[in-house]
Amino acid sequence: MSEPNERSDGRAAVRADDVWKIYPQEPAPVEAVRGFTIDVATGDFVAMAGPSGSGKTTVLNLLGGLTRPTRGRIWVGGEELTALDDRHLARLRLEQIGFVFQAYNLLPVLSALENAEFTLLLRGVPAEERRHRVQELFAQIGLDGLEDRRPGRLSGGQQQRVAVARAVVGQPALVLADEPTANLDSASSDALLDVMERLNRDLGTTFVFSTHDPRVMERALRLVRLVDGRIERDERRGPVPAAS
Amino acid sequence: MKYRALFLLSLRSVGRNMRRSALTAAAMALGLAVLIFSRALADGGHEQWIDSAVRLGTGHVAIQAPDYLETGRLEHRLDAQQVARVTKALADPALSDRIRMWAPRLTVTGLASSASSALPVHIEGVDPARERVFSTLPGQLTEGRYLEPGDRLRAFIGSDMAKRLSLKVGDRFVLTAQTASGDVEGQLMRVAGIFHTGIPETDDGLVHVPIETVRKWLGAPGAATSIAVLLHSSWQTDNVVKVLRSELDGSRGIRVMGWRQASPELDSGVRIDNWGDYVFHIILFAIIALAILNAIMMSVLGRQREFGILQALGLTRVETGWVVMGEGLFLTAVSGLVGMVIGLVVTWGFFRHGIDFSSASSSGWSASGGIINPVIVPIFRFSQIVLSVASIVVIGTLASLYPAVRASKLDVAEAMKFEQ
Repeated sequence: MSEPNERSDGRAAVRADDVWKIYPQEPAPVEAVRGFTIDVATGDFVAMAGPSGSGKTTVLNLLGGLTRPTRGRIWVGGEELTALDDRHLARLRLEQIGFVFQAYNLLPVLSALENAEFTLLLRGVPAEERRHRVQELFAQIGLDGLEDRRPGRLSGGQQQRVAVARAVVGQPALVLADEPTANLDSASSDALLDVMERLNRDLGTTFVFSTHDPRVMERALRLVRLVDGRIERDERRGPVPAAS
Repeated sequence: MKYRALFLLSLRSVGRNMRRSALTAAAMALGLAVLIFSRALADGGHEQWIDSAVRLGTGHVAIQAPDYLETGRLEHRLDAQQVARVTKALADPALSDRIRMWAPRLTVTGLASSASSALPVHIEGVDPARERVFSTLPGQLTEGRYLEPGDRLRAFIGSDMAKRLSLKVGDRFVLTAQTASGDVEGQLMRVAGIFHTGIPETDDGLVHVPIETVRKWLGAPGAATSIAVLLHSSWQTDNVVKVLRSELDGSRGIRVMGWRQASPELDSGVRIDNWGDYVFHIILFAIIALAILNAIMMSVLGRQREFGILQALGLTRVETGWVVMGEGLFLTAVSGLVGMVIGLVVTWGFFRHGIDFSSASSSGWSASGGIINPVIVPIFRFSQIVLSVASIVVIGTLASLYPAVRASKLDVAEAMKFEQ
């Protein structure tokens, strides 16, 4: 069962209150998420586990504002995203949320560097600062020298690291990662997790990811188990690190 | 900055499937080139047609008494004083670069009779020196010569009239018409030359005689039923009409008309021909629009996940639509530029001396009172080129709109599941 909400520093990176997602289908509506309530502290490293169809991806889509809940309320970085119109929701995604997808989902027409700096470009960050931030990040996550490569010329692990760089480069309140290691071999998975952990620790970036991968679950500071769209267990496994 | 990012994406996306983009751009460029060429050819043909018709008829600008166009009667003529006023107005230096020639005409209907027969004719009193430059009729000479200054009782007649009245060069015949005073009087004339235009009503029923002879014969000294003005180009008509109306403002009994008003049959002919062209262009545009729509739709349908990613990264629906619009507009801009260059180069480079259509007709062409030269020389008009390019831009924009709306309306979460 769900444990009580928690806060590390008094400010939640993301908060959901009795969120439901019901898909109207015949013969009966499908309740993909049922009364989901969570409070994720800034700087936390949360894994959501559960069998296929348990609602992990739907929860991430709801927390990221990619789909709207049937009922319930969600806050990201203190802003209630369920109250926002499409335009403001897009701005919130741009400024407060980073996404990492299972299938990497880099833009194939852009180079690794252009992919990573894309959200900064959308936010109007000057070119020099963009390049500086991305190159610094690339150096940290082992993408040095790959800046000009298009996604098609990168390995799966490299593509996923670019995706992580894209997600964190704007220093969002929250990074949502949907099974980020699902398409990676174990070495690449470990390397990616190292990167995410380091960014979490060094930059204080809050990560929430869905996963089947036991290695990811092992490294999570908080493990939330979902079954049939509900939180079955919410387990704290380590303290939320303070940003350095 | 944001739109720079969108433009970058649009640009790169166009380059992603180069073959498809190139084919689409080629279809658009070719369509525009064909449009520019066909408009230049149509304008050239129309200009020749109008030039020929107005030379034989009213001129680009016709200056007449108010009711002459409707009645064709001698009583509705410009008197000597009015002709002098018009002549003065035509000498305005502001018009000198637009007016090629002007010619007074005194035209009445009458009867031509010879020993063998008689038939109704238009008797056109002309100034031989001016008419030689103004009219295309002297150039249609088949026998004898055209009228010359100093001729008094000479006539230039059509080939069919000569045949029907059994006249040859040098033969005499009588023209009969109602005079200014209402009497009917005859005038003996001698055939100076015979012309053949291929226009039956002209070859059968038009006679040129010296205007001074007609004035004296009909008792209308210094008068003219019409002063025909030939311009360097038909496009200058409205402007010259405006200037002349202003010059002759306050002159009662003088009417200034452009060729469209003075020759409604010719105007209708040109308009109908233009509409035929427009129908062809609409079909051409529809094909181009479908090509663009097809290319962009294929591109959009195959990239749903990508549009989902863009929205997940923070683009609004409208901005996502702009990425697609940008692709269409970029393709349109490139093909518009290429099509314009191809259209201009091909038309000017290969066809500046004209295209000979004479093999399509052995008997020559005529329509609405004009002789159409089978060698049609294309004419570029800046406004037509701008209109053609604008049309392609509008078509490209409209054809991009639907795919853009489709891209903007997708469900982000669903789009992310889409297998590319």
